[in-house]
Amino acid sequence: MGNIKMEVMIGNYSIARGLVEAGLELAAAYPGTPSSEIIPGIIEFNKREGGHIHAEWSTNERCAFEVAFGAALTGKKAACMMKQVGLNVAFPSFLSARRKRIKGGLVIICCDDPGPQSSQTEQDTRLIATLMGVTVFDPCSPREAGDVAYHAMEYSYKHKVPVVVRPTHRVSHARENIGLYKPGTRKVVLNEGIFLQSGGFGTHTKGLKDGIEGKVGVVKPSDKNPPPKGKFGIVASGMTFSITADVVHELNMLYKIPIYKVIKINPVEKGLFDFVDSLEKILVLEETDIVLESVIHRGNKVFGRKNGYVPAAGELTYDTIRDIIERLANETGLGKSGFSPDISIEDSLKEITFTPRPPTLCAGCPHRSAFFAMKHAFPDAIFPGDIGCYTLGISMGAVDTCIDMGGGVDLASGFYKAFSQDGKFIPIIASIGDSTFFHAGLEPLYDARLTGKRFILVIMDNSTTAMTGMQPTPQSGITADGTKTHSINIQDVVKAFGVDFLRIIDPYDIPLLIETLKEAYNYLASDNNLEHKPAMIITKRECILSAKTKPDASSGAVDIEQNCIGCKVCTKYFDCPALVFDNEKQKITIDEGLCIKCGLCLVVCSMKRPSKKAKK
Amino acid sequence: MKLEIVCTGIGGRGVLLASTMLIETAVKAGMKAMASDEYGMSQRGGSVVSLIKIGDCNSPLIGRENADILFAFEESEFYRNLVFLKKGGTALINTRKKTLPVRVDELLKARRVDCHLVDADGIASSKGSIQASNMALLGFFANVGKAPYNVNALRETIKEKTKSKLVEKNLEIFDAGYQSQVE
Repeated sequence: MGNIKMEVMIGNYSIARGLVEAGLELAAAYPGTPSSEIIPGIIEFNKREGGHIHAEWSTNERCAFEVAFGAALTGKKAACMMKQVGLNVAFPSFLSARRKRIKGGLVIICCDDPGPQSSQTEQDTRLIATLMGVTVFDPCSPREAGDVAYHAMEYSYKHKVPVVVRPTHRVSHARENIGLYKPGTRKVVLNEGIFLQSGGFGTHTKGLKDGIEGKVGVVKPSDKNPPPKGKFGIVASGMTFSITADVVHELNMLYKIPIYKVIKINPVEKGLFDFVDSLEKILVLEETDIVLESVIHRGNKVFGRKNGYVPAAGELTYDTIRDIIERLANETGLGKSGFSPDISIEDSLKEITFTPRPPTLCAGCPHRSAFFAMKHAFPDAIFPGDIGCYTLGISMGAVDTCIDMGGGVDLASGFYKAFSQDGKFIPIIASIGDSTFFHAGLEPLYDARLTGKRFILVIMDNSTTAMTGMQPTPQSGITADGTKTHSINIQDVVKAFGVDFLRIIDPYDIPLLIETLKEAYNYLASDNNLEHKPAMIITKRECILSAKTKPDASSGAVDIEQNCIGCKVCTKYFDCPALVFDNEKQKITIDEGLCIKCGLCLVVCSMKRPSKKAKK
Repeated sequence: MKLEIVCTGIGGRGVLLASTMLIETAVKAGMKAMASDEYGMSQRGGSVVSLIKIGDCNSPLIGRENADILFAFEESEFYRNLVFLKKGGTALINTRKKTLPVRVDELLKARRVDCHLVDADGIASSKGSIQASNMALLGFFANVGKAPYNVNALRETIKEKTKSKLVEKNLEIFDAGYQSQVE
């Protein structure tokens, strides 16, 4: 590497670096895990290089795509970023744009979430791009992601077509040492082909001719380097390839099982078929849909999702890949190799009850008190929810649905109408966050308003896009790089809808919020007139992570313990991670490392603890 | 050379910062290193796992019973991630307890695990910052003799990679963790 400056960074920063070095001029994105760090990376590297890149947070992915596409049409090098389900939002323009000849370059970085870890569904962007005839790359590491981003911009600019780069979260959020090159000087060679590792395949077999003996890396099959013949080989792409290489190494099978690494998923290189055709069995390992497996299309010799060797859904973890490769290696007679799990580990843990730790809202999160009030005011209401931190209200029973951004508002309309057609009126309380409201909540609200749907919509305004890492919303009054701009006030937007019932409440004031929710319900119940519905409540308090004013940290610990009778209603109804039940004391104690001293658990305790008179 | 490390704990308690120190120090010492972070949907309070591989590797992902070292910044996360730890591996657990449940203890002995119970919260609290218990555990680790670099290299990284106003406090707690091994 010589004198190249190196820095440890995540895959998303590496992608940002690659784009900046490739001459990027405009970038637009809507934040979404695992893609959110690319725009901040671009802003950072642009600053360091003293460049003039324009980078913006858009209100949603379609806006991001169209802004970038517009710039690319005129000749700029542009890029947009989104998570996998964000592409659905941008889909109309993506479909139209794919056939348009651009003057500049357009790279769409669409980050997939196998698992899914923080999405409502898995979705394979490689499949969509392949079906729609768009060129798509699948990088295998943070370093390669930077190279691929650079190459994709060059490719798009040269061929005048939009190009997709698909990193998975394991690439976007992995970290390694990355070289920083002077813009325009990176020499990218895509290492696609047969994988060679020191002491492993290719270095000791006769399948590959002289010239690559001892070489470590990847080689393309050619007349000079004919593909290896044998019983069993693997085709893999993305981080799945990198794990596969480690697994085959661990199993000591580098000599026996050749691996072909794919980077360009569509269109695939001819070398892939040369490799496939020289082997008797091919295992295809890819995340998360059937893409390479379908493209290879060689009937019974292909092992993968279609014949059940690879799980139909979920992340391909190290252990999953190890299991699959061992199974096939054994079936192929390559010798039984070594890993059998020691189940005495699980046995020894059987009697231990350790805290289950499902995703939860932060201690002191304003959403928590809003959900508590909603559930307390109307325990039997229907609670259509939405996408953001506040989806986690599900654990408090105050979120019943989660389909897509803005979907909760439409579902509330559908639920209301379904019941009202049957002559019933029930409480329906929908929730949506501020950023999501701007992203996709407006259109559903137009419809609800025009047809007078009688439900309560709670807009949870914490002044940020918290789940993805505190990006500004249209209301924040700042742009992606922190420059001041106009603030579009949610209250003003909502007022323009002409609703009668609109209240703005601090969610920390739990009694007032409960009273207001009841008032809203009575308003909807007593007035059959369809005008001016739904009822709206904005719960307004800054996200606890970015709040300028926090509860007084110097005050003593919250004393939940003193009057605790061990009834656990606080953990049941309030679900705060700082509340821990101490089995020895049989009391709730406070995890002071997490507690932010909002003291709301004391309010919940006073409202929910069973009194001696209570029937329960 | 290959060293596989699992760092685990609760969001907001410095798991990722600790993992950053481990990977940055390795890279500075000229080693190849990769990390993979998993923090789910919670901003704070959820399970966090950071996997680190130092040396000869293609991916940062770690298989069952393959990790050389398991850092548990919280006790229940230790149990949840124990399947990662290999036979003869090293475990460091932040806990106030002096002993683990009997069956776990037996298992660790049978698997020849070098297990250290460290009151990192206590060490950090006594220095006035329970939030920096990650530094106490790192300090302790530096004195266990399993790191591929020396204690000064780790101290240097802490100096470089923590917020300037926290450097002094972090080093104080790191040193206290280092010393606690001797006591």
